[in-house]
Amino acid sequence: MSNKNLFFKSGFVRAPLQNGVGRYVCQLQRIVFKFCKSSGGSRGLRDYIEQDLVQFAEQNPSVVVYLKPRRHRSPVAVAEYLNGSRVWMNFNQKTHSEILKWIENLRTQQDDVAATRLRKYQYTDHPSIQGPWTPFTFKDPELNVAELPNVKFGANNRLPKTATEELRLLFEKQKLEDVKTAE
Amino acid sequence: MSAAKRVQQWATFARTWHIFDCKWQDPYQSANIIKKYLMGLHKPIYHPMNDCGDVVVCINSREIALRGDDWRKRAYFHHTGYPGGASWTLAWELHNKDPTMIIKKAVYRAMKGNLQRRHTMERLFIYPGEEIPEDIKQNVSNQIRQLRLVPQRLDHIPEEEVQQYPKVMEYPPDYVLK
Amino acid sequence: MAFVRRFMPILSRLVQNTSSNQHQKIHRWVAPTLRELNRREDKNGGKIISPRNTYLEWNLEAELFAFGKRLKEDFDAALLFQAFTDRSYVIKEEMKQKEIKFDIKMKDNRELAEDGYKFMDEYIDLYLQAVLPKFPIEGVTGIKNHLLSEKVLANISFHLGTKDIILAAEYPVDNYKLANTFKAIVGALYRSSGEERTAHFVRDFVITQLQGQDVNEFLHIEDPWKLLKELISKAGSNIEPRLIGQAGTNTLLACYRVGIYINKEMLSAGFGETVNIAKEMASREALKKLFGTQENMYPINFRLKGIPKTNPEMRYQIAAS
Repeated sequence: MSNKNLFFKSGFVRAPLQNGVGRYVCQLQRIVFKFCKSSGGSRGLRDYIEQDLVQFAEQNPSVVVYLKPRRHRSPVAVAEYLNGSRVWMNFNQKTHSEILKWIENLRTQQDDVAATRLRKYQYTDHPSIQGPWTPFTFKDPELNVAELPNVKFGANNRLPKTATEELRLLFEKQKLEDVKTAE
Repeated sequence: MSAAKRVQQWATFARTWHIFDCKWQDPYQSANIIKKYLMGLHKPIYHPMNDCGDVVVCINSREIALRGDDWRKRAYFHHTGYPGGASWTLAWELHNKDPTMIIKKAVYRAMKGNLQRRHTMERLFIYPGEEIPEDIKQNVSNQIRQLRLVPQRLDHIPEEEVQQYPKVMEYPPDYVLK
Repeated sequence: MAFVRRFMPILSRLVQNTSSNQHQKIHRWVAPTLRELNRREDKNGGKIISPRNTYLEWNLEAELFAFGKRLKEDFDAALLFQAFTDRSYVIKEEMKQKEIKFDIKMKDNRELAEDGYKFMDEYIDLYLQAVLPKFPIEGVTGIKNHLLSEKVLANISFHLGTKDIILAAEYPVDNYKLANTFKAIVGALYRSSGEERTAHFVRDFVITQLQGQDVNEFLHIEDPWKLLKELISKAGSNIEPRLIGQAGTNTLLACYRVGIYINKEMLSAGFGETVNIAKEMASREALKKLFGTQENMYPINFRLKGIPKTNPEMRYQIAAS
């Protein structure tokens, strides 16, 4: 049950440097594409570079794109984020459309999502607005000056009304009505 | 942690001392209520690993009321561990020997049988009569309401209240009360 | 964890879906191999991390351009480059150039840093005074000192991606250089784009660091009860503390609750381990209410445009002790 021996670090849902509060900063810093100009496994990546890469670079001027054509090497992308984490992704035998989606994924995440196990799916700086519960929250203030044990606080007050009690209340009501009519 | 957060946590996890008057109460029914306060189940911050239970002080445990024939027929079992060490004690015998035992056993039985039970029982104080040690009395800050109605003895009602109480009918002056 | 990540190519052959699957089979030879590699690295004097700008794939011009675009600001290219050159780098370059007898004047970022710091100082002061109208000046200064401290500025600078672009003599860059670079960036922005844009930049990156922080931590009050009495007696009401709750008085875990009443009406309540602590916390709570910074206050507005103007009316004065 404890987390000590697991490789995967755990953490909470956080935005680095209060990202959305001021302006939004795209957390992806740079992508390095390594691919082969002729092998079959890098076909998808080659198609992506030919067709969609320029559009990607135009739309995201904050991401620096490096291309490394290397012979006889499988296609790989390394994404580096602003907090220093690197995500290594293997694009071997992936199709053009798959690569498109993965790159969109890399662009919109903030640091390596797969490396951290989220302990909770929410985070807040202000968990309570009315104030956290204390034993004093719903306590009757009369208990402060009462000498305990006291019958007033000890007797059961949720029992149903007895017949005698009902009669007595009727009598009291009648007395009040008499006083009103007398006035 | 700033001072404000520190005292806030201190207050949220503070342990209250409750007092419960066992006069005329069924120990097994009251044990269900007492165990809730001892374990901390009445708090919104409850968690079994949280150690959030409160202290309960039971007074007048000599005046408890068992149901029906229990005083004569309910037997409490005890085994010393040695061969031939089994003993069955009836409720009235046990109560005479130690007036706090019945309610203690009742609360112990009401709780879940886990390893926390013995530790939680340490938070329960039982006194046979009205007298409590002074330092415990000063700690007490809340009273747990009883479950059963404590009937009032007719001759303990003050005179003036008897005379002022509304009557449905008046007995005729020469009526003889048996 | 980084060690396991290095072995991802091998691990990914075992499991179909790498990025989302968290229960992977890690072979029994992985741990001993990593342990041995670690041992060898330590024997050679620790892990060698080379700075990013020594990699093959590095283009300083592109990085600077991307940096400007990331912050959605237009920087003057020369000023931005100047902002990133540290004094130590300039000294190193000059030493090298003396040997080659080659002289290119490189400007360092000290003046830009001073300009940036001065602007941030004044602007943050005005902004905090506008956003926390009743907070005393000592508190505002305290918050400002925290926001402009080396640690906070270095953190901001790091998370904007400056640590790879900074030109310095040694790597990795320490906090002082990171903070300096950030100030220099603010200075460069001030010179290239003007007051308003720089104001919005400082607001979006520096002042938002207050989000989630308790503002009262930056105002140090020694005797809150005395101060509260002074402030209230000026208004002419009588103020009294009362014990309104206690739990477990004779125990170690005793808890007391003290309420502060003005003219028989409750102003605030505080908890404490002893009655004195409870009274102190109650007076602190009352002061927070007076200054408008209690726990459930309206969140600080991080969207004020332009340079805000001050309103010196409602501010409380704490006498300098």
